Amino acid sequence: MSVVIPPTAAPAGPQAGPAPGGSQPTSPTTRSAWTASRMIVLLGAILILVAVIGVLIAPTRGPSRPLDPADTSLAGSKALAELLRSRGVQVDRVDSVQAASDMAARGGNRLLLITDTTYFDEDTLSRIPGDRLIVGDVFGLQTLAPGVRTHPEATRTRSREPQCQLPAARLAGSAYMGGRAFDAPAGGTGCYPATGGGHTLVSYPNAGGVTTVVGDGSFMTNLHLPEDGNAALALNLIGSGRPVTWLIRPERPPATELPGERGQSMYELMPDNVRWTVYMAIIAVAVTALWRGRRLGPVVAERLPVIVRAAETVEGRGRLYRARRARQRAADSLRAGTIDRLTPRLGLTSGAGPQEVVAALAARTGQDSHQVGAALYGQPPADDAALVALAGYLDFIERQVSEL
Amino acid sequence: MALTGRAGLVAALGIVVVLLAPQPGAALAGVCLLLAAAIVVDLVFAGAVRPLRFHRSGDTLVRLGQRATVELIVENPGGRRVRGVLRDAWPPSANATPRTAALDVPKGERRKIVVTLDPTRRGDRSSVAVTVRSLGPLGLAARQGSHRSPWTVRVLPPFLSRKHLPSRLARLRELEGQHPALVRGQGTEFDSLREYVIGDDVRSIDWRATARRHDVVVRTWRPERDRRVLIVLDTGRTSAGRVGDAPIPMAGATAGGSGLLVRPDPRPAPGWPRLDWSMDAALLLAALAARAGDQVDFLAYDRAVRAWVAGASRTELLSSLVNVMAPIEAELIEADSQGMVASILSRAKRRCLVVLLTDLNSASLDEGLMPVLPQLSSRHLVLVAGVSDPRVAAMAARRGSAEDVYDAAAAEHAQLERRRITARLRRHGVEVVDALPEDIAPALADAYLALKAAGRL
Repeated sequence: MSVVIPPTAAPAGPQAGPAPGGSQPTSPTTRSAWTASRMIVLLGAILILVAVIGVLIAPTRGPSRPLDPADTSLAGSKALAELLRSRGVQVDRVDSVQAASDMAARGGNRLLLITDTTYFDEDTLSRIPGDRLIVGDVFGLQTLAPGVRTHPEATRTRSREPQCQLPAARLAGSAYMGGRAFDAPAGGTGCYPATGGGHTLVSYPNAGGVTTVVGDGSFMTNLHLPEDGNAALALNLIGSGRPVTWLIRPERPPATELPGERGQSMYELMPDNVRWTVYMAIIAVAVTALWRGRRLGPVVAERLPVIVRAAETVEGRGRLYRARRARQRAADSLRAGTIDRLTPRLGLTSGAGPQEVVAALAARTGQDSHQVGAALYGQPPADDAALVALAGYLDFIERQVSEL
Repeated sequence: MALTGRAGLVAALGIVVVLLAPQPGAALAGVCLLLAAAIVVDLVFAGAVRPLRFHRSGDTLVRLGQRATVELIVENPGGRRVRGVLRDAWPPSANATPRTAALDVPKGERRKIVVTLDPTRRGDRSSVAVTVRSLGPLGLAARQGSHRSPWTVRVLPPFLSRKHLPSRLARLRELEGQHPALVRGQGTEFDSLREYVIGDDVRSIDWRATARRHDVVVRTWRPERDRRVLIVLDTGRTSAGRVGDAPIPMAGATAGGSGLLVRPDPRPAPGWPRLDWSMDAALLLAALAARAGDQVDFLAYDRAVRAWVAGASRTELLSSLVNVMAPIEAELIEADSQGMVASILSRAKRRCLVVLLTDLNSASLDEGLMPVLPQLSSRHLVLVAGVSDPRVAAMAARRGSAEDVYDAAAAEHAQLERRRITARLRRHGVEVVDALPEDIAPALADAYLALKAAGRL
């Protein structure tokens, strides 16, 4: 006797390794785990070391805020501040209304450059006399620059021509302007007209000096300063000779903005226990994750046979008929099936022609031969209802033949 | 290493301790150190898993639908008691229970764990690994390790059609005649001479023997024996299609017993592959033919020989057949009929009955079998058996809405093709058996008996 058994191994046959019925451990020992993973551990350690050294030797940067004269990032304005200083202009960087008022109180003709008013009180700010340059979309513009009307839609920031008689703008030429558009009050000048009406730069006398409002401050940033006439416009607007009080957004919200008696934040008010409890909760979650995450033994994969019903092709064909409303094909199939079953019952051979079948059938069932002929060999049904009727009629004929 | 729920609970209690402690930072450090120390103690004092030894015994063969038991003996030669859980990992379709078992083996002793398998499909099922989690004395942490303790249980085809065997054997006996026939008919061969008794047909008197023996002697006849039957199983893609209702629950589907994740399938149950129905029919035919004194060979083929049994003795035939059939799965490739016919011709030198179990699918038969059929049918008697799909028959009877009629037309088309290919096969002198899944085995047996009675083997 010769028996070829497929390669899926003999039943319970001995395999490489342990003897049949015996066992051998498969989990790695501490030594083998170390041997297998030491390269990965070493590489990981080197990566962490490099990252730590990189962070330690990287130069520390100052605080980064938009239009900050001390900021060297693309959104900062250190380039402009340095330009001003090289021209002998004194730039004083302040981040509170109090400091700005103190500067003003020292006397002298100063320019107040306002880049942000988020945390400032506009009323106090508006009481500082002298020239003002308001850059960007700031809160409380009505108080700081009364009479200037703001258009509701912003315009795109792009290179624009001055188209006005303001010397600072005319000399600078085209500049990178946009943002808010304004209407100057009577006696003021508007430059760099926006597409939808209004001007993106407005200058008019106010509060014992000249107040200039610019819709967007990006022409002053380190990024855009070298382009167009941006630098010239900025220098012309700030002017030379008088010192500048450069007001920027403070690094932290001022104390008055925060809850608590002495302006502490919510986190400072929390008892110390809460913070440590959160740490402990993280540890507890980690321990629970380790408990739940450890599987008892391997996942067993199995090659399963496909599950496909044999009738799926027939069902698919039925759906195709349905989708294309293939009445002719459907009717042909039904008719062929009926004829196939009826011919032996009528005592005809399979090669019998339509006339013989129809004649035999009409004689057998007593139906009108034209009707039988139309049902078996006629035109395809005109609509779905006719198809259903045809199927019913074919069933009826078959029943008649089998009952008689 | 593994942690337990108790470690998680201790850590959770630590949250409360840290929340209420006057010095939360110190409390956190204390709780963590305590937990870490307890885990280290547990790991140190837990029984070692690596030195454990496993021995197996139990069933290696089981019929589909029956339950197998495999015993796993855990031997602890180590110095400490091993207490914890054990998992014997079997493939999902082996349906092994229990999935995990509690384990408590004192040092130097051994314990037995009984795993029962309720396989849901044919084939070889092997244990993948035995994993033990050995808890420490505090129950906070455990050592864990796996062992390979191979054991394979071969799940054999269920041979459900054996219930039809007694009635077919009775028919066979009738045919053979416990009393040998006196009339020489087609398909009979000379059996013996015996004395004439009154009532015997005088035409069967053997005059030569009568003259020699000085007594009237008649010849007796019996149906032919020692013919050859070659059962060929097509394991190509058409045998993968599922028909009928699976007679054994869940057969062919994935195990649902353990799975919360197994969603109930909204589609109708897909039944059994044609291959399994064909195997059932082949087993009944083989059992019947072996009893009838014929020599049965078996070949499974798609593009290569999947299994080949030849020359098995009558007593060994069924066991070697089921053994060889067990791991055969339908391959999702088009069967190579030319190769199949070539390998049949090279294996069957003498004329025999070739029973080809395949699907009566006109498209695949037209391209595959029909061109090479004459080579086969000129040298052998060919019988093609196909399992038809009751779903198609049900679809053909659908009426009512237009959708139903379209489906019915498609089913009618399929049936028409099937009848046409059957008629063409018959014109080639091939016997065809086309029956529903539940009827294919008895229908094939009846066709064999009819051929035997007609002496066409």
